[in-house]
Amino acid sequence: MGRTTYLLGQKAAGRKVAAVWPARYPAEILWAHGVCPAEVWDPPAGQALAGAHLQSYVCGVVRQGLEFLLSGGLAVADFLLFPHTCDSIQNLGSLVRDLVHEPRPCLFFYLPRSREGQRATEFLEAQLRRLSAELTPLAGPLRDGALEEALALGGGRASALRRMYDLRARGDLDATNEEFYGAVRTCEYLWPEDAVLHLEAFMAAHAGRRGRGVPLVLSGVTPAPSDLAARLDALGAALVEDDLLACGRRFLKTSSAESGAPWTAMAERLLALPPCCTTGDGVEDRTAFLAERVERSGARGVVFLALKFCEPELFQIPSLARAMRARGIPVLIVETELGSTTPAGMMTRVEAFLESLP
Amino acid sequence: MRVASELRFRWMKDVALPVLLKARERRPLARPRGESPLGPPLESTRRLRGLMTRHYALARYAEGARPVAWVTSGAPVELLRAFGCYTVYPENHAALCGARRMGPEICARAETAGFSRDLCSYARIDLGHALSGLTPAGRLPRPDVLFCTNNICQTILYWFKELSHSEGIPLVMLDTPFIASGEGTPEVFDYVAGQIKDAVPALEHITGREFREERFREVLSSSMRASALWGEVLATMRHRPAPMTVFDAFVHLAPVVSLRGLPSCERYYEGLLAELRQRVSQGVAAVPGERHRLMWDNIAIWFALAPLSRLFAEHHCAGVAGTYPNAWAETTHYLDLADPFGSLAKTYTLIFLNRGLNYRLGLMETMGRDYQVDGLVLHSARSCKPYSVGQYDLRQALAQRLGIKSVVLEGDMTDFRTWSEEQAKTRLTAFFESLDG
Ligand code: SF4
Ligand code: SF4
Repeated sequence: MGRTTYLLGQKAAGRKVAAVWPARYPAEILWAHGVCPAEVWDPPAGQALAGAHLQSYVCGVVRQGLEFLLSGGLAVADFLLFPHTCDSIQNLGSLVRDLVHEPRPCLFFYLPRSREGQRATEFLEAQLRRLSAELTPLAGPLRDGALEEALALGGGRASALRRMYDLRARGDLDATNEEFYGAVRTCEYLWPEDAVLHLEAFMAAHAGRRGRGVPLVLSGVTPAPSDLAARLDALGAALVEDDLLACGRRFLKTSSAESGAPWTAMAERLLALPPCCTTGDGVEDRTAFLAERVERSGARGVVFLALKFCEPELFQIPSLARAMRARGIPVLIVETELGSTTPAGMMTRVEAFLESLP
Repeated sequence: MRVASELRFRWMKDVALPVLLKARERRPLARPRGESPLGPPLESTRRLRGLMTRHYALARYAEGARPVAWVTSGAPVELLRAFGCYTVYPENHAALCGARRMGPEICARAETAGFSRDLCSYARIDLGHALSGLTPAGRLPRPDVLFCTNNICQTILYWFKELSHSEGIPLVMLDTPFIASGEGTPEVFDYVAGQIKDAVPALEHITGREFREERFREVLSSSMRASALWGEVLATMRHRPAPMTVFDAFVHLAPVVSLRGLPSCERYYEGLLAELRQRVSQGVAAVPGERHRLMWDNIAIWFALAPLSRLFAEHHCAGVAGTYPNAWAETTHYLDLADPFGSLAKTYTLIFLNRGLNYRLGLMETMGRDYQVDGLVLHSARSCKPYSVGQYDLRQALAQRLGIKSVVLEGDMTDFRTWSEEQAKTRLTAFFESLDG
């Protein structure tokens, strides 16, 4: 079933749909209000409309998201949510609301740029309550116990994803790169219970040892261009872990200690996500996270997808790559853009990298 | 060692530099060769040159004598001044590199180390400088602390984190949440004020100096006065003909960015304001025969300041307003000595780059009316997403609200590898001609 058909089904079942821009946001609050988030990372979109609003030096995620919106691709959404991920999304949200005059409500969400101390947790908790207050007129008030239920749903989805990642890292999932990311990325729009069912079915259908392939870790924003995972399959590269902003860096929280109070637990959950440049984490934390991914999966190298014009990523990649090399981990950095076809030059570089691996 | 550094610093500050700079100040101001379409240059430029030369020259001797802080342009520097920090502004330094046309050379050093050419060129210059030591300022002192606020952009956060990581320098960071709409909420200001308070013990630890609230208030008062004076300086451009242009403002904003909170900054603007008022009373025009009054949006194109200023003047166009210079006068009215931490939080959170585009549109509309502009020049700075994304629509909206024409220049603040002088000249000339109707 396609994304839009599924979301229309959600609406028919009485839920609202929110188009949500990357990257980190409190899905639990939306679920608690009966809202199904549909994330806008790299929708299939042309170039015709966004160019009138955006300069050529804006990243593809912002560009394609706006194009998709302007061409009616998000007609299913009741409202839009812009997490404050970077300068470009910050201005995109404001542009859409203030100057393009999007008629549907546009909400904003700010994640603190520091995880340390009580201040960040308290501020985040206040942000969560404010978002909930803004959702109330759009989707109805919170039912008693809705937050706790949503937290449980989120926990269930995270643990299914973690299991799937673990199986893959151990080589106990017989799935291609394309199949794996196809399954993981359904979490971008499925209601969490449906997502868990889907992931469980996927794990059951793909039980077994992975075939041969050069184990690699992929880092970047999305597995872009959209045929990249399949092209890597064809080259004999097996992605065994990732540090993708849209996937592993977002879904798998690193700590399980959560408070009993639901608002605080929700804030803590967001603050416990893996280290990320978009939330101001330093390169040291990301290096440790990435190195641990490499070690536990036995990957033989890391491929960094440097998404054109993505400042948060582009600032950290040189230091991250240096740190990986210093640990003896081979690294390849390739510039990439969203789109449907991986350029031949990029594949040639990946192929040469695979051949060079010890 | 510390005593020796202190003595050296004092000797330079009180004896050597004043003598050297006095001699330099006597040098005549450079006048453009040939017949200039511009009015007489501002006499204050001489003092400005001395002030900034002194600042960068003295910086070399600050290491060991003063705690040295590298600061972002939107950070509450008042707190650092209370600790007697010697402050260096990498953005200001990058602008200087840009103006001396060293941008591409220094950026290339960062690019060789793997930093993408698509990153902000201020950051690339700073990282390139860290790697190579290249600078037109002689030498910058190694910082004891990096002080960063993300109210101007998130880029600054990635940049300062990288600097902190690669150079092993402690970073004190203030997170100022984006104000998408409205005037901000108590939870936001409490969060920011709390972080400023938290920075006090961190800075005490790093600088080895005790925080004195009385000194902090003195600095705040000075900062308020300097920003207010800067606001008055800019307001002189409301006069027809304008006694200075936005290009002058780009040059003369250096002290309010870099020296705010110091008496020398206040003194400088008192002098500049007096000169401008005298010009107004005598009807001296920065652009003789001023025919059109323009607003400039975004940071300056530092490497093309002189040719652009001349081109504007050749067409009797005076840049009389700029969103960028205005930023240092915009929110100081929030400062309140009775609530130093809370009011600093407001002042630094509510700057226009940290607010939704609707706010910016309103601000530009007001400036357009106040300064009676009849045209808008938007510098679409490839380096700067928070300033540039949205400009195309701001342009349309302002055309409707103010009935003004506009032109977009695709450029950069310092990296002229993507700049075509000829193309810019053609676009601007066509725009100026369209203003004549
Ligand atoms: S700049 Fe990077 S983080 Fe921001 S929207 Fe684009 S891809 Fe995402
Ligand atoms: S030029 Fe723009 S992106 Fe660069 S530091 Fe300044 S505000 Fe940030």
